[in-house]
Amino acid sequence: MPREVALADALVPGLLLIYLGCLLVLWGIDTLIGRYGLYRYVWHPSLFRVAVFFVLFGAAGLLLYP
Amino acid sequence: MKLEPQAVLRFAITTVVVIVALLLCHALWRHYLYAPWTRDGRVRAEVVRIAPDVSGLVTRVPVIDNQEVKKGEVLFEIDPQRFQIAEQQAEANLNAAKAAARAAGANIDAVLASAAARKAEYDMRQEQAQRRQDLADVVPKEERTDARSAAVTARAVWEQAQASGHQANAAREQAEAAVVQAQVALDRAKLDLERTEVRAPVDGYVTNLDVRVGDYAATGSPRLALIDRHSYYIYGYFEETKLPHLRVGDPVDIRMLSGGIRLKGHITGVARGITDRDNPTGRDLLADVNPTFNWVRLAQRVPVRVDIDEASEPKGLILSAGMTVSIDVQPRRVLDKER
Repeated sequence: MPREVALADALVPGLLLIYLGCLLVLWGIDTLIGRYGLYRYVWHPSLFRVAVFFVLFGAAGLLLYP
Repeated sequence: MKLEPQAVLRFAITTVVVIVALLLCHALWRHYLYAPWTRDGRVRAEVVRIAPDVSGLVTRVPVIDNQEVKKGEVLFEIDPQRFQIAEQQAEANLNAAKAAARAAGANIDAVLASAAARKAEYDMRQEQAQRRQDLADVVPKEERTDARSAAVTARAVWEQAQASGHQANAAREQAEAAVVQAQVALDRAKLDLERTEVRAPVDGYVTNLDVRVGDYAATGSPRLALIDRHSYYIYGYFEETKLPHLRVGDPVDIRMLSGGIRLKGHITGVARGITDRDNPTGRDLLADVNPTFNWVRLAQRVPVRVDIDEASEPKGLILSAGMTVSIDVQPRRVLDKER
């Protein structure tokens, strides 16, 4: 994963791509959990969603971002 | 009140996920703060400001702006006529000094011969006086005194001639020194003549060529910049928080803003001082301290010098001093393990 990527000649940190990717994954997870009704096991769905996003983002950032 | 198992489970799952999220975010933040990389790098090069060593009219400019030149190539030429004349003058002076030295040498011979004659004369007078002295009974007193006086006079004349000899010697030494002086003056005139051709001191690129035929070039005032083509390096301005994680010799990845070209390099030094921007000298020589916030502090940026590995430069790469690059330091974990 490059440290920065060129978007229309503007170099932006590669973290931005990870962020966008994590949003997609979160959307997928959210859909899955919603379909199987697993939110029954969650105390506070909005907090849980935000936390899951940051778990994904942190893990991906640490792993992919050298 | 009895807790339902499902409620406990719900709470536990959420809490665990939130805590993991906090820990990961903290780790990522630390990584962001301390990982040794920067987008704030600049290509730099050593620039030689070419100034003529002699003053005069510019008669020839064989280079054009941005041309690549080799070491020793002529950059511009100053009218050599005046310096040729000066050289001829110095040569004539040298010849005159040499002739004067020869004359002084001849003079010495003459003076020495004269001294020898005086010596002979003195010896004769001395013997004469001695003889008359020995014959005191027959020679009248007046004659003896005269002879003694004549001997003393002859001795004085001889001594005078000897002094003249010393003088002539000194004169010759003076004349010889004058020859050396004239020789030095000639060498200097030749050097001046040679320096009318301003040559490139290094391989490089002519930049900002600001000299035309007919310009008057004054000694010591730079007329063009020559960028040393072997001297390109990079200054990475790293935040001070990242400095502990880089060391001299660490390999770095360089990515240029122009075309995203990747180069390899290594750290060759860290600047050991930057200006303290919060403390310029104010009026009356008092410190002018900035009242900063207590909460927000900006990390200063410290220049780190990176040398580019020439082998990693792609063919046809155009490096310009002042270009922007990103620098990513590869921590030397592998090397450290080997140690």
